Amino acid sequence: MISIKGVTKRFPGVLANDHISLEVREGEIHAIVGENGAGKSTLMKILYGLYQPDEGSIELRGHPVRIDGPARAVALGIGMVHQHFMLIPRFTVLENIILGHETARFGVIDRRASEQRVKELAGQYGFAIDPKAMVATLSVGQQQRVEILKVLYRGADLLILDEPTAVLAPQEVTELFANLRLLAAGGKTIIFIGHKLDEVMEIADRVTVLRRGQVVGTMAAGETSREGLAEMMVGRPVLFRIQKNPCHPGAPLLSLDDVTVAGVGGTARGHGRGHGVGGSQGPAWRTRIARAAVDGLSLQVNGGEIYGIAGVEGNGQTELVEGIFNLQPVTSGRVMVLGKDVTNRPTAQIRAGGIAYIPEDRHRRGLVLPMSIWENLILGSHRRREFVRRALLDRDRILGHATKLREQYDIRLADMDAPVLALSGGNQQKVIVARELAQSPQVVIASQPTRGLDVGAAEFVRQRLLEMRDAGRAVLLISADLEEVLSLSDRVGVMFRGKIVAEFPAEEATPQLLGPYMLGGAAPAEMEIPLADARGEGGEARV
Amino acid sequence: MDAEMLASALRMSTPVLLAALAGLWSERSGVVNIGLEGMMIIGSFWGAYGSYAYGPFWGLLFGMVAGLLLAAIHAVATVKYKVDHVVSGVALNILALGLTRFLCIKIFNQATASEHTRAFATLNIPLLDHIGFLKPLVTKVSPVIILALVLVPLSSLVLNRTVFGLRLRSVGENPLAADTLGVNVFLMKYAGVLISGALAGLAGMFLSVEHTGMYVEGMTQGKGYIGLAAMIFGNWNPAGALGASLLFGFAEAISIRAVSSVIPYQFIKMIPYALTLAVLAGVVRRAVTPAADGVAYERGGE
Amino acid sequence: MFRKRRLGLQVTAPLMAVGFSVLVGSVIMLAIGANPLQAYAVLFGFSLGRIDSIASILFKATPLIFSGLAMVVSFRMGLFNIGVEGQYMVGAFAAALAGFGLKGLPAIIHIPIVMAAGMAGAMLWAALPIYLKIKRGVHEVISTIMMNYIAYSFLHWLLADVFLDRTQVLGQGGFGSPRVRTPELAASARMPTLHKLFAAVGIQLPHYIYVSYLLFIGIALAVVVHYIIWKTPFGYELRAVAQNGPAAAAAGINSERVMVKAFLLSAAIAGLAGLSDLMTFFGYYDIDFPRSYGFNGIAVALLGRNSAAGVIVGALLFGMLARGAEGVQVMTGVPAEVITILQSVMILSIVVAYEIITRYVRTQRKKEVGA
Repeated sequence: MISIKGVTKRFPGVLANDHISLEVREGEIHAIVGENGAGKSTLMKILYGLYQPDEGSIELRGHPVRIDGPARAVALGIGMVHQHFMLIPRFTVLENIILGHETARFGVIDRRASEQRVKELAGQYGFAIDPKAMVATLSVGQQQRVEILKVLYRGADLLILDEPTAVLAPQEVTELFANLRLLAAGGKTIIFIGHKLDEVMEIADRVTVLRRGQVVGTMAAGETSREGLAEMMVGRPVLFRIQKNPCHPGAPLLSLDDVTVAGVGGTARGHGRGHGVGGSQGPAWRTRIARAAVDGLSLQVNGGEIYGIAGVEGNGQTELVEGIFNLQPVTSGRVMVLGKDVTNRPTAQIRAGGIAYIPEDRHRRGLVLPMSIWENLILGSHRRREFVRRALLDRDRILGHATKLREQYDIRLADMDAPVLALSGGNQQKVIVARELAQSPQVVIASQPTRGLDVGAAEFVRQRLLEMRDAGRAVLLISADLEEVLSLSDRVGVMFRGKIVAEFPAEEATPQLLGPYMLGGAAPAEMEIPLADARGEGGEARV
Repeated sequence: MDAEMLASALRMSTPVLLAALAGLWSERSGVVNIGLEGMMIIGSFWGAYGSYAYGPFWGLLFGMVAGLLLAAIHAVATVKYKVDHVVSGVALNILALGLTRFLCIKIFNQATASEHTRAFATLNIPLLDHIGFLKPLVTKVSPVIILALVLVPLSSLVLNRTVFGLRLRSVGENPLAADTLGVNVFLMKYAGVLISGALAGLAGMFLSVEHTGMYVEGMTQGKGYIGLAAMIFGNWNPAGALGASLLFGFAEAISIRAVSSVIPYQFIKMIPYALTLAVLAGVVRRAVTPAADGVAYERGGE
Repeated sequence: MFRKRRLGLQVTAPLMAVGFSVLVGSVIMLAIGANPLQAYAVLFGFSLGRIDSIASILFKATPLIFSGLAMVVSFRMGLFNIGVEGQYMVGAFAAALAGFGLKGLPAIIHIPIVMAAGMAGAMLWAALPIYLKIKRGVHEVISTIMMNYIAYSFLHWLLADVFLDRTQVLGQGGFGSPRVRTPELAASARMPTLHKLFAAVGIQLPHYIYVSYLLFIGIALAVVVHYIIWKTPFGYELRAVAQNGPAAAAAGINSERVMVKAFLLSAAIAGLAGLSDLMTFFGYYDIDFPRSYGFNGIAVALLGRNSAAGVIVGALLFGMLARGAEGVQVMTGVPAEVITILQSVMILSIVVAYEIITRYVRTQRKKEVGA
């Protein structure tokens, strides 16, 4: 179907793809695996025409092709389902699907014909979806189906799925895989990018492993094992369980008591922030939400333990953390830190009480990207007495402090005066971790602490969290990476629709046990979606 | 409240409506256009000149093209060079002031006003003009008013029903998504801003040629900004913009009649501006800005 | 390393912008049949070649230093205080009230009171926009512009109906009508000019030029503003909130309070912009009190790349252009408005030039740090 021959792509300072050659056969599900930074995404962007290779060539069905842009890729029958959905929340499903590929008469969209085609396609591959629904009201799994429909609508024969399971619960993954098998049976070719080896072993016909921009090997899924793939990915045998000391829980340091956070609603992704002079400052899109994002949640984290929250993203995890720090108001209930009620206190006061915050979105909540590294290292502690002298910031003192942190946390940087945006993702995260842990907090809230980090940096961050636990501090870990939650935590709570619906000691928790709870029922069930809202604003995108 | 009052309100709302539509076209494509005021200024001058020299039709054309050309600078600055939309708009407003004054001196030999211009022949709305009490509203209507009113459903139709409209809106909501689907993001933004400029030019031309009969410096009196407020109040919808503009038109029509010895006229002059503040204070929290409004789009920049 | 490069950047972009504007100006002059070379020669010769011109440039630059600094504070805060225009007028009027209303004070007390009144008046005018911004989410650009229009009418009413000086002595024989203006400021409220100071070093300033100590106050204020923004915890918070509000909030910074403080600081500085005219040249608030210092302040701040030192350079450049324009108009017949066009082209080209250079630097930086 498609052959990639010696493709090379360089970025300033990085060799992202280094003479990559591989072949994908017609009708197969071909997985491409590798660590973050192995070059998977770059390769896919080349296939989809978003990047041009510096060297090498691509052949489609035996003919050399030049893919100079997404439009060209689409014309060639190549479709891409992006990891971060490329959807417009305020458009209907139909509008999202036909955009750029409209059926029209005299420039006017032929809605009836388009709708008919979308329905046919959806029926053909077993997608249950209402074309008139507003995308903002859909679940993540449904949004992904819209993405796949978009690609099919454009007549793609080759579908590229970029880490499609990252945002799904185990049962949703099962559904997706059923869909993918149906597609493959219908003659479509699928390239599946991933790093969860279990899933790859389950779905793929063949697997190609990338490491540091190079192909390590391609083999049939039946001829290899999970451990074999893992070793190929990182170049050395990996331990899947982190070594940790036995847990000695102490007194409760963080207790959440029947906490409710209304939340601003909207989808987990895709709410852009307009900068227009109309200036609504919150998320631009607000759905009318029937229930609170965090809905009467209670939990306790003791000193000396890591409490992990598992759950599909968008079930109130973000709002929970923001509620703890009063970045969104807690509408009822109590937040207690070290036995003191800090509910809806000023953020500065809550943090001064000994609670650190590693936010899920480091660019939005964690760092001021254009400011220098040393300035970011004192964000929040910039008014401490040791950093201010005669009403001015004491640059020498602060630089001394920053240098100490840099050594302690192994932050690799050239110049403290450089803006923090010049650092790699891993080093940026280390800046946050260093800053937060330097205050010797009693409680640490770590939200998606290793997201987007390479293996080395992720391991480093996990070790620091374990150190905090071993030192008797309370750690609340929220992560979409189930494996991470299971391997780090001493207790695991499952969060669904704003509540902790189940809690297990770490020894008992397995993905199979947690999965059903993550979807809201003890038994695996279809996720019910309140479609009443979806039609609320009428089929037309009233924007 | 009588038909005469309504007619006056309609006349007063027309430039605000056109400015609101102008703002809407630009912002739905994701470009904030604070330069509307300047585009109106330049439209009012060139409209007056075109009409003075060649007649009202040419005035209309000159006004729209002048607005469009100024908008082209805004488009290049914001879309190509990613200049802050507000900064660019403010610069254009200052540029428009200086440029018209300069041109006015050169063309009319005086700094602040043009010669008298020729307006379009007014129209009577057939059938309705026989209904007695409606008479002031439906007779002697400027064709530009009718054009402005027609532009409301037309804008709605184009934005919501056509391929062009869908693509333009998609660019204002999520340019990256639009780009990956083969929509030409930059082209759509240029289109939105240029349409905006032409409409703002038309708004200016209405002021000078149709409403006043000549160009006078400072005649726009912030109507470009008020138009933006009307656009926000109307929630970025043409029909909403019409409603909001009528509100402003009424306020102005009332204030003109409310000349009294009790309230100094300077306070009456403040009414449109105070109303704008009040409207924005009351409405913005529920307004839904296009998601990528005012945000520069850079290809491949993630 | 980064600090040095930033400096280089701040010089290159404005030079590019000025160059481009001069080019556009030439095209316009050619279009109307004037000789741009001659006009520019006159512009430079007239503005830099005479002592009264130099003094005039300093006089014209003084208000722009204040309005430019006001813009710098607001820009650094991520706010666009277009209301500097209305704020300095209201401020000047309040200062005038303090100037003619209070009598019998020694200058050393009266002058600071007048300046404080100017700052207070301007802050008062800025209070509503920043309140609406924080509580109701109204964008400050539209609200401050509305406040500008309201200020024009409001001040007109105050002048014409409330504080009109009815004791004016009309021209010979009682002809003409009285000026629409306030009573004159007390002598103790007049800002001393620099004539004596210059005379001490042997330079005789012409008596009709009113450059005053406010120039030095402006320069000193520039230093203070620089320190506030870059060295104090407040300035740190201001930059953090401006560049990433959500992160600042997560760090416990009260963004709203920082924004209110910064906006009012911007307004307070704006309140000084009208004083050099009020306290020297006019001596009263007049219906023809000079306008558009606020708008020029935007240009000056952008030209100075939002740095305090840059504002001083920008203000002097604008002072020079304004002075030069007078010469150009008289000697070559090119309308002085060509300068307004030059100035607005400068605003646009400065931001474009900066963007181009930033892109260049960004790719360079990636090459270095990326590895």
